[in-house]
Amino acid sequence: MNASVLMIALPLLAAFLLPLTGPLARWVGPFAAALNIALGISLWQTVAQEGPSVVVMGGFAAPLGIVFRVDTLAVLFATALAALVLILWPRTSADPRRESALLLILLAAGCGLAFSGDLFNLFVFYELIAVASYGLVAASRERLAAAAGLRYLVLSALGSAFALLGIGLVYALAGTLNLADLSRHADALNSPLGLAAFALMLLGFGVKAELFPVNAWVAEVYSTATARTTALLAGGVSKLALLIVLHLVLLVYAQPAALSLLLTLGLLSIVSGQFAGYRAADLPRMLAYSSIAQLGMIAAAFSVSGEAGVLAGLALALHHLIVKPALFLVGDGWPKCVDSLAGLGRAEPWRAALFVLLALSLLGIPPLPGFWAKLLLLKALLGMGEPAWNLAAAVVLLGTAIEGAYLLRVLQTLFRGTTNAKPATFGGALPAGVLGVALLLVMLAATPVGGALQRAAQQAADVPAYVADTLGGSPQ
Amino acid sequence: MNDLDLLLLVSIGTTAVLFAFGTWRWAGALGTLLYALQLALLAVMRPELPLASGIGFEVLGYRLQWSLSGLGWFFAIITVASALFSAWFAAGEWGQHRRNLRLLHGGLALNVTAMLILLASDDLISLFIGWELVSWASYLAMVQRGGPAMDAAYRYLVYALAGALAVLVAIAMIAAQSPALDFGSVRVWFASAGNGTIWTVMLLTMAGFGVKMGLLPLHLWQPAAYSESPGPIAAFLGAISSRMGLFAIIVVLAQLIGLERLGNLPVAFSFWNANEFWAWLAALTLIVPTFIALTQNDARMLLAWHGIGQGGYMLLGILIATPLGVSGGLMHVINYACYQAALFLAVTAVAHRTGTTDLDHLGGLINRMPLTYVTMLFCIIGLAGLPPMNGFVSKWMIYKALLDAQMPLLFVAAVIGTLGTILSVYKLIHNTFLGQLRLEHAQVNEVPISMWLPMILLALIVFITGWMPGLFLDLVDEAVVAIGITQLPHHLGGVDLGNGGLDMLWIVGVLLAAIGIGAIVYFLGNRSVRVGQFDNYAGGQILTADVPYQYSHQFYAGLLRVIQPWMRGGMAWGERALVSGADFLGGAMSGLYRAAPAGAYLLLAVLAALAVTLL
Repeated sequence: MNASVLMIALPLLAAFLLPLTGPLARWVGPFAAALNIALGISLWQTVAQEGPSVVVMGGFAAPLGIVFRVDTLAVLFATALAALVLILWPRTSADPRRESALLLILLAAGCGLAFSGDLFNLFVFYELIAVASYGLVAASRERLAAAAGLRYLVLSALGSAFALLGIGLVYALAGTLNLADLSRHADALNSPLGLAAFALMLLGFGVKAELFPVNAWVAEVYSTATARTTALLAGGVSKLALLIVLHLVLLVYAQPAALSLLLTLGLLSIVSGQFAGYRAADLPRMLAYSSIAQLGMIAAAFSVSGEAGVLAGLALALHHLIVKPALFLVGDGWPKCVDSLAGLGRAEPWRAALFVLLALSLLGIPPLPGFWAKLLLLKALLGMGEPAWNLAAAVVLLGTAIEGAYLLRVLQTLFRGTTNAKPATFGGALPAGVLGVALLLVMLAATPVGGALQRAAQQAADVPAYVADTLGGSPQ
Repeated sequence: MNDLDLLLLVSIGTTAVLFAFGTWRWAGALGTLLYALQLALLAVMRPELPLASGIGFEVLGYRLQWSLSGLGWFFAIITVASALFSAWFAAGEWGQHRRNLRLLHGGLALNVTAMLILLASDDLISLFIGWELVSWASYLAMVQRGGPAMDAAYRYLVYALAGALAVLVAIAMIAAQSPALDFGSVRVWFASAGNGTIWTVMLLTMAGFGVKMGLLPLHLWQPAAYSESPGPIAAFLGAISSRMGLFAIIVVLAQLIGLERLGNLPVAFSFWNANEFWAWLAALTLIVPTFIALTQNDARMLLAWHGIGQGGYMLLGILIATPLGVSGGLMHVINYACYQAALFLAVTAVAHRTGTTDLDHLGGLINRMPLTYVTMLFCIIGLAGLPPMNGFVSKWMIYKALLDAQMPLLFVAAVIGTLGTILSVYKLIHNTFLGQLRLEHAQVNEVPISMWLPMILLALIVFITGWMPGLFLDLVDEAVVAIGITQLPHHLGGVDLGNGGLDMLWIVGVLLAAIGIGAIVYFLGNRSVRVGQFDNYAGGQILTADVPYQYSHQFYAGLLRVIQPWMRGGMAWGERALVSGADFLGGAMSGLYRAAPAGAYLLLAVLAALAVTLL
């Protein structure tokens, strides 16, 4: 069996067998995640040597059968998600089995989403992720978290319904849901109704991708759920939702109207997120709003057609996947109110230093990796040479300046004065530290990492090759 | 490994060593020696310029490389020398009873390293990396005293960050069109770019680099940020930090776009070209802050405001684009660094002994601190641009170049700026050293040799290079040639021009002779009686020493009554408007999220999307 299928089957199997493992239950999850990373690395090598491949399920060829597309981009997302899940694995949990099962399902569904080659499977895996994430959000014992979780559930379910409606429309218009096949029939969707389907899907999947205006749950959930859940949602799940959007605009909706819509929502996310963050008085909310804006930047990057946009979005997404979870973890246990952070820089110098490092990278200060991501984004936006995208560059500039103003306010507060409070426990020290080290490693290895991302973007943006690979090189 | 690699390595090593041993008793002395070593390395590499470093990276198809040109070398000399004198000043008694010495010495060394990396950059990305390193290093130098210093530094950093982003957008714009980002390729790209593109790139980069330089209207952060930092750091920052902005501006305007192209770049709907536009902005930068300096009552703030104004002269000189103007502008950089560093050190020395820099609470210290007085006297003459000090030479060159280039209005602007400088530096020395000694300062002594020697040396440099400007003009040549301007013919005493040159050897000779004759008359014909500084009387009535009789509050009240109506703080108002605009938008956006009828937003968005797509 192909490694890509194993990456889905193994965590699922582990999740279902969890009740039978007895005292080993604690170790099953991390083991499965580690195994997934190993599988991902082996797949990475295979893809690097042999190029992208297509896995056909049950012997039915596309467009009728279900296909998995294994390319650099998919492997990258699947492996990164596995790594994030492993790093964020809860070490102490009252009920390890339930949480482990949810995390494993999320992992399996995330991998499935990364590899899926047709819209319906994407939706199924997306829903599976959603269900797992409701459980994780609700796992927090706080009363506020329950309320926030409920709202999240309702909004998410509504979003899914609209996304499904959009998918239904696509099927009605094009007669297929296979992405490669849809790519050949893209003309059928180049109509007002086709565009409406795109809008429905964008708004539906946008709920998880934190796109404006369907992201009202973000600040509430992130400031009440446990830090690890928040980190997983902000770092991993949101990127997977954007991955669906990327597939859509790259393969099916390469039309200017769809790209403009994506860009508009991205820019509105940036503006609303950064300004709301500027006004936020507590740290988790501030980080949540910053996350909205960062995802808006990724959406703006994906709205640039061609390789440059994919590359920029990929770099931003992976950077955010490392930085934002770490920031949430560092902030976990500190007083929530920003003003109460005064003096913690002296009380906990290493933790504060880690926060500074992450914040600087988020702002795009060279030579940290965030700088390269931001440069790629601006280059991609300006490379379009169209007024709306030039404006987008200006919005990114403005947004980052605002983000700088509020993140610097936090840094400033950390090192101002002294505190009498005892150092808070730093529960997330290990995962945050690992992510911080990963960030530094990426900085030092900027050359090979940049090269790998370029290859991934090149492969992903090569639509004719995608179609030919999947449909057996029989262009109609 | 060549000399440049060695220099960068030594500089990084200096930073590491000073952070590691910053609290050690001799850390300051060690730092001074290490800066001297760096200076020696710079001197050794002079014949090899431009010198490319062996270090280089390739990321995402961009090559990051470093190479020190004559321009960078010129600024590097000033940077390292300023650090040397600052560290020396802090090495002795000044630093002994201070906390945070690690941050002081380490931060200073880090600034030098960052600046060297910036000055040696050879492509836009390494330039940007160096730029950000300098920004954050100077933030680290500014925040050290906590409290108001942190607020000032925060304000600086927000400006710097927004500016840096503007530069990044400009770089991305070039990257989207030019095949490579090394200076050579970018120069070629600029040559083929259209006027609109160049204007966009130029405005973005000037907005970014202008922040550091304090180009109007981006200067508001600077006075407080510099003057709130610890004395020797203020001297270093005041002397060279803002000049990094000037350096980057020269790179963009002169090296990449080219001054000639600048003159052919029209400003839309006007008879101006880009060169005149920036020259007038430089002129405004030179006048407005100088007159604001006049109203300051804190010695450090007064100097910091002047720092902004003097930057205007330098940019103005370079924009004249003749050998004389460019040489004058660049020479002003090094001249200014000497006297500005010395002035900040002198003010720090006064603060060290009296505990204040408030000009309303000082006075009459001339007999108590004579060496500090001499330093300040020499250096304010330099700052005011009067003979026989070096500031006169560079300003004379700028005036002369303006007249030769037929820019009489800019000449008048420059002279108005100089007038304001003369007035306010007189206020500085008068309120500190002249007038009546305050009773609480009766027991004040001169600062120890570890503090006065570096100050006096700087003051002597100011005098000697005023007397023999050829010494500095030799260094300036390296930079002028690197910009692509013909070398200015000069000799030890000044410059040779077809229509009349400048020979300071002669001028200073005449001046010294006149002073000598005056001294002879004074000492031979002296009929005055020396009285103690507390021996006051007025209207025949003896006053006790604690009655302030000769004091100066509201200096230049008459002049200020005339010019104050123009000082409405328009730019500060603009800044506040921006901040409150951001506050307002922030409130609106967080209200949007907080109200959170989450499902309603989704439904509305779907309806709107359907309406837009289907109707």
